[in-house]
Amino acid sequence: MDDLFFFDADCRVGSGPVIGIQPGVKELLAEMDHFGIDKAVVQHGSTGMLGAAQANLQIAEMLKEDTEERLTGIWYFLPTQCRELPEPDEFFRQMKENRIRLLALNPYEHQFIPHRISIGKIMDAAKERNIPIFLREFSGQWRDLYDFIERFPENIFIYCDRVGKWGHDRKIRPLLENYSRFYYGMSGYWVPEGIRDLADAYGADRLLYSSGFPYYIQGSGMTQLKFCGLNEKEIAAIAGKNLEKILSEVQL
Amino acid sequence: MSTPIWKQPGTLAEQFWKNGKLDFPVYDMHGHMGSHYAIHFYRHTPELMAEHLRKAGVKHLAFSHHHVIMGDMRNAAVAEICKRFPDLYRMYVGIVPAFPENIKEDLAMFDQWTPYAIGLKFLPDYYRIPVTDKRWEPALKFADERKLPILVHTWGSSQYDGGPVMLEVAQKYPNAKFFLGHSLYGNWEYAERLVKETNNNVWLELTAIPGERKNIEMLVEKVGSERILFGTDLPWFDEFQGIGGVLSADISDDDKRNILCRNAETILGKDW
Repeated sequence: MDDLFFFDADCRVGSGPVIGIQPGVKELLAEMDHFGIDKAVVQHGSTGMLGAAQANLQIAEMLKEDTEERLTGIWYFLPTQCRELPEPDEFFRQMKENRIRLLALNPYEHQFIPHRISIGKIMDAAKERNIPIFLREFSGQWRDLYDFIERFPENIFIYCDRVGKWGHDRKIRPLLENYSRFYYGMSGYWVPEGIRDLADAYGADRLLYSSGFPYYIQGSGMTQLKFCGLNEKEIAAIAGKNLEKILSEVQL
Repeated sequence: MSTPIWKQPGTLAEQFWKNGKLDFPVYDMHGHMGSHYAIHFYRHTPELMAEHLRKAGVKHLAFSHHHVIMGDMRNAAVAEICKRFPDLYRMYVGIVPAFPENIKEDLAMFDQWTPYAIGLKFLPDYYRIPVTDKRWEPALKFADERKLPILVHTWGSSQYDGGPVMLEVAQKYPNAKFFLGHSLYGNWEYAERLVKETNNNVWLELTAIPGERKNIEMLVEKVGSERILFGTDLPWFDEFQGIGGVLSADISDDDKRNILCRNAETILGKDW
């Protein structure tokens, strides 16, 4: 238990006009060292305003600072019709080249409808290749989130919330119950021993340690998980093994 | 990778990581109990909360019952719950301005609820009644006369319990001990003013802040760790998350000990 492997599913790096000056890759790695986090998934913190294409370029460039390859990146996608990003096969090739293994979408700030006719092609390709879709931009948009997942029930989803301090069990549990490839990251989920209750109901293999860095600190979720009442094997799975397994099955 | 904080010998972080407890009592100064209309949390009963608190080494939880401050349960029933857990629970008498007769009766009963009743609880934002409104006055005067704590839910942007109105009442009632629940969240400038421009009768309470990166450090920098109290809103937030959040902050172990333990003992004594 002392040497738990932690893989943080939810970190952001990079600054922007709205979010101000935020930590970069070096600061994130230093903080991971400080708390004993082995690996992390990262995206650019200002993707909303940068736009998908530019944010993708920037995070790829930033990842080059991580010479030990502890970080895995997220790229954003758009409706394929506007041809702002390469066709899926080329897009995936570039992802592999740049150590990107997850996708995300921001239909709110990037102004599109996350429907089958707009993004079905890339969602289907992501499903075939086991590429997880990261869902934080849907934070608090529960009806939209439900509709979106219903349209693509066979994709792999990772949902990490950081908006608000109120527990979301009434909204999260139906998703965990109905979609077997829906994973829940615990950023901001502070319900007392709630991790144990979720694991008992849906399995520890459906939960992921995630911090919400740089807004949340990585350490508090580590102690919350370590003492949540699950056994060592389940805790180890949530701390890092589940995410490691999900990403190992990605085919780029 | 350098040595993580959880493995640095002799630190509080190492102690907690190893044992899930610290070698001193932790006092949680902001709790509740009972179910909540908008949130599912399983561990809201006295028994399940007690199990969680004891596991984390919390000596006392000072709480107000959800069903008092959001329903019509009476404080007398809460005192009965405390009596069942005399070593653990302490209560804030919930003050609900919509029920003025209850306030009179409950304040008259306060002494009979000793040692369980340690102060009062206000929730101005939820009721949309500014803390400066005359409906709070009987309770404010009562606390002022007796130098009692009042845990006030505060939020930086609120017109009901935000900075200006809280500063006004904290100055008007200089003997009451104001615990600013959530530390006037978001209005850190006023949080600092409340501590510095009053009669040493204001403390910042941390609920919802542990876990947020750099905010504890910022508050310690502004007012000093001696003016900060630990709280979790249990059953809203996990004790291990909250304590872990304080231990994760980039402040000294002495500061952490002040927040988690010493300050409550300074205000209420070692045997409260």
